[in-house]
Amino acid sequence: MFSFTKKQKTYEIRNIKIGGQPGENPTLLFGGFFFKGEPDFKTAEKDLENMIYLSKKTGNPSIPDFFIKKEEFIEEIIIFIKKNLPSGYLFSVDIIEPELKIKTLESLKKEKLLDRTVFNSIHVGITSEEKKCLKENTPAMAILVAFNPKDKSPDGKIEVLENSAHLQKAGLIDITKEIGIKNILIDTAAMAPGDYSGSSISAIPVIKEEYGLPTGCAIHNVVEKSKWLDDFKHAKKIVDAASNMDIPLFGGDFAIFGPVQNADFVFPIIAWQDILVSEYTENYFGTKPSKDHPRRKFF
Amino acid sequence: MEDKPNTTVIGSYPIKIDNHEFINNYYQNKKTSWQRYIKNAVDDMVNAGIDIISDGQTRDPFVNIYFRKIKGCRIRARPEVVDNVEFEKPITVDDIKYVKKIIPEKTRIVGLIAGPYTLTKSCVDMYYNDEKKLSFDLADVLQKEAELLQKHVDLISVDEPFFSVSIPDYACDLIEIVTKKLSCRKRLHVCGDVSKIIPVLLDMPVDILSHEFKAQPGLFNNFKDYSVDKKICLGCVRSDKKRVEDIEEIKKHILKGIDVFDGKINQLSPDCGLRQIPRENAFKKLSNLVKAGEEIYG
Repeated sequence: MFSFTKKQKTYEIRNIKIGGQPGENPTLLFGGFFFKGEPDFKTAEKDLENMIYLSKKTGNPSIPDFFIKKEEFIEEIIIFIKKNLPSGYLFSVDIIEPELKIKTLESLKKEKLLDRTVFNSIHVGITSEEKKCLKENTPAMAILVAFNPKDKSPDGKIEVLENSAHLQKAGLIDITKEIGIKNILIDTAAMAPGDYSGSSISAIPVIKEEYGLPTGCAIHNVVEKSKWLDDFKHAKKIVDAASNMDIPLFGGDFAIFGPVQNADFVFPIIAWQDILVSEYTENYFGTKPSKDHPRRKFF
Repeated sequence: MEDKPNTTVIGSYPIKIDNHEFINNYYQNKKTSWQRYIKNAVDDMVNAGIDIISDGQTRDPFVNIYFRKIKGCRIRARPEVVDNVEFEKPITVDDIKYVKKIIPEKTRIVGLIAGPYTLTKSCVDMYYNDEKKLSFDLADVLQKEAELLQKHVDLISVDEPFFSVSIPDYACDLIEIVTKKLSCRKRLHVCGDVSKIIPVLLDMPVDILSHEFKAQPGLFNNFKDYSVDKKICLGCVRSDKKRVEDIEEIKKHILKGIDVFDGKINQLSPDCGLRQIPRENAFKKLSNLVKAGEEIYG
């Protein structure tokens, strides 16, 4: 366990406090609402309630991450958010298609929700229309995916943050600042097994030391893509949840932990890891855990 | 008039990259091939009628192509040297092999080597703290790449733009190391104002000297003061301006070149890589260059 020499940025926004030195703030957990096919809002309501309960119990802040695949789902999902998510909570919208991102941002502005929105995500595929839309409809926070198609190592992730590996005119950090988004989270871009998968974890301390920005990833994607684990069906879900432990262990600040249905496993596992890290970093570096840290909740 | 010069390129060619495809493939766990971008560049050069084409250097700014694969280097905000530099694996050979597969039989290929001094000047040296030592170690790396590359190309061009800014007293030695195992023709490309280093350039262990005579027309007069025993690759269209030179303008320029170099002009090319200008303009520049050459030399 370690402490960074670079001063670490901490954001305090709505229900979350994120960033800082290892052991300082609890790991922020993004739970995915993927809605395979038509959104099932009844189940989603229960899952959301459960995640909020687990968040309060452990002290690990949470953000529901809504995956939007089709235009017709935008309105329904926004209605769901307004109805079910406490007003003090942030939420994120996870969208791949640029046109859909634009339409969603416009709808969020109309509903006055942008100050609670985490935009997932900005990456080398960002279009000029998307940039323009983000300037006009600026969310509270954005996740920058440091995926570099030319170099998947931690250095490559820095390269893409610095200059987009020359695939855009500026680096992802400058693009985001130019848009006007003030709160930046760095996602180290989990890769498939056999394709530099470990670099998403090893990049966490590298990026935190370089920029001091809150950093994390969706390491569970690596588990999902580990097809050999299909021979161990009973273990795969546990491995999936446990993989998130690597993030706080390597100094990271947030985990995009996959399906919200895994929350019952993920929250206690991460709370346990946060306590472990905090005990060490306080003893060795004098890093005090924040008031909502799991170590304060359970001891 | 001597043999008809070949039309050729210096290196890079502008190709639009589909960034969104990278991201879609990332999310779908698919690999993205770069070959279609190489093919786009190659097809344009071939369709413009260029005799000796390159791979278009579409992957990266040209120095990054090298730093990405040289052991001891990494690329962050800029290329950085963090350890002893060593040759680890071929750098451009696979792309050139692909180019060879997709071009007509009569079309030839120039293999491109970023010069060791230019690489040294383009990186942050965090390990050697000795410019000369780093340059010589990089020259050794590039010699290995050039040796592998020559099996697949008709000409190797060493690109040393930094020589026009500052040239070390060991410049010839560096080029000697890079090219000494080559049996194919060798070209040295130095863009910018080379008027003050012409004697050094004329001593270089290469067959062809390539310079940007279009952007630096004063070079014609400067070269008149020397006895030139090397072949010349004449830069005929600008690589830093979008404006497309028409055929007549290029012909006038070539005739000026003939006036100075007589039969020494061996290649007609753009001034430098065309990466910075729009693709449509780059294509027209190459097409006009070919037509101008044909009208003069037949």
